[in-house]
Amino acid sequence: MIESLGNSLRRGLGTVGAASRLTVEAFKALRDVSTWGPNFSAQARQLGVDSIPIGVLIAGFTGIVLALLASYSFTGAVPRYLVGTLVQKTIMMELAPVLTGLALAGRVGANIAAEIGTMRVTEQVDALETLAFDPVAYLVVPRVLAGTLMFPVVVGAAMFFGMIAGWGASLLLLGLSTPEFLKGARLFFDSFDVRYGLVKAASFGFAVTILACAAGLRTRGGAQGVGGAATRAVVQSAVMILVLDAFWAMVWLLGRAR
Amino acid sequence: MSKRANDWLVGTVVLVTMVVLIAATMYLQQAELGTRRTSVTARFRDVGNMQVGNVVVIRGVQAGRIAQISLADEGWVAVEMKLNEGIELPADPVVLLQAATLFGEWQAVITARGAAPGIREVLMQLEDTAGAPPATLPGAVLPDIAQLTSVAGGIAGNVASISERVRLAFDDSAAREMRATIRNFNTMSTQLARTVREQSRNLDSVAVDVRAGANDLSAGMTSLQRSLGRLDSATSQGELETIIAESKQTATNLRAMSERLAAMSLSLERAEASLRGVVIKADTVLSRIEAGQGTIGLLVNDASLYRNSDSLVIDLRAFLADFRRNPKRYLNISIF
Repeated sequence: MIESLGNSLRRGLGTVGAASRLTVEAFKALRDVSTWGPNFSAQARQLGVDSIPIGVLIAGFTGIVLALLASYSFTGAVPRYLVGTLVQKTIMMELAPVLTGLALAGRVGANIAAEIGTMRVTEQVDALETLAFDPVAYLVVPRVLAGTLMFPVVVGAAMFFGMIAGWGASLLLLGLSTPEFLKGARLFFDSFDVRYGLVKAASFGFAVTILACAAGLRTRGGAQGVGGAATRAVVQSAVMILVLDAFWAMVWLLGRAR
Repeated sequence: MSKRANDWLVGTVVLVTMVVLIAATMYLQQAELGTRRTSVTARFRDVGNMQVGNVVVIRGVQAGRIAQISLADEGWVAVEMKLNEGIELPADPVVLLQAATLFGEWQAVITARGAAPGIREVLMQLEDTAGAPPATLPGAVLPDIAQLTSVAGGIAGNVASISERVRLAFDDSAAREMRATIRNFNTMSTQLARTVREQSRNLDSVAVDVRAGANDLSAGMTSLQRSLGRLDSATSQGELETIIAESKQTATNLRAMSERLAAMSLSLERAEASLRGVVIKADTVLSRIEAGQGTIGLLVNDASLYRNSDSLVIDLRAFLADFRRNPKRYLNISIF
């Protein structure tokens, strides 16, 4: 058991070390714009624009559920306009970034790990090196940049549609009026809520893409190795999203608490 | 998809998302672009839970927002408020900070000094204007909801204690007694109603009697009026002088009679005084007799003397009888 625990710890530390090393290399490769530049828009579309529907879908249903949950919970002396408050705070600060991040960890992380892993086992990465292309600049930087910049876009869209869905559910299912919902949404709204969610989303995008790239580049073996790399990328990304979620909460929310 | 199409699509999505997010944020923050605002500063000793962005209210209408809160000299807190264009402050304005909702949101209320609540602490804060910079409004903080709830908590505790005591006091037996009391009260009210009905009937009869009395009085008044009429006619015929003269004579007689009565009364008083003296003397004599003083007292109180006197009388009677029978035995008349 101790041996198993030690192996797990060793693998975990190895992953963190590989991701850290890859991060440093990616920052170094940022200077090689001519290598990663042509691939950036394609990755941004694939990782960001194509992910917007799934993010909006998740946030939309989450907004509906939150409105109903708030209405179910707020009984008696609690005014019903607080439904808007709960929907606004929860969607913007927590659920839109985290749920969208987890969904994109599966979609984007697995995609990147499988793609790069396949290139690794089919020696395409070696071929790039042979052709004097930096594989980090060519494969990692555009994906990490696209993930870091486009995750906030996806999460922003999820925030907006989550609020719209919560508002619609409050109107149609709960009988709240628009002024009531807006009163609740505005009651404790602060632009910090949006900034907090978007910064978290950017950090999630960076973590998901860098971990997926690291998992793909470390792929060994054949198709089985590719599958294992995709699985590792999704699991590690999901864990890292939750860790970063707690990290940002401690860094920003504890500091703002009065 | 070509690289150019990717660029266009990604750029459009990013731009649209940014615009939507910024617009939604401004909408939720109720930001107003291009609106000119007036700056008003107030100072407080404490600002409670007031935060930048909280609303400023005048007569219940939102008139602006808190723009800045900063510490000032001499223990003051300066609060800068941005008021909407065209907002006019009330006369002699003061700023009150207070909780807007039960959930921790605060607001600043600009009102006239005379309209401020008459709470001693608030009035003291508003009066503390020493060293205030020009154009700075005085401010005060109304009691926080937490303070009110703590007081209310104490009151609620007392009410709960009283309720518990009432519950203990108002047990089943008390309920039965209460029920019996209500029944008694019901019976009593029935009797009272009956009594009221009877008294009402009595009152009706009294009213009838009063009405009859009033009729009699009316008749009496009519008769009096007639008598006065006759008196008036008698006066007019000269009989009144005769009546007055007779009355004078009668009064003279009465005065003489009263004088005689007064003289008789004086004689009676003298006789009474004399009689009182006699009685006193008699009482004294009788007292002495009872005490056995004097001859009579001795005769009355000494039985042996009575018996001696009695035997003396008997002897005297025998002597007289013997004297009548034999006078020569006792009388010896000789001449020379």
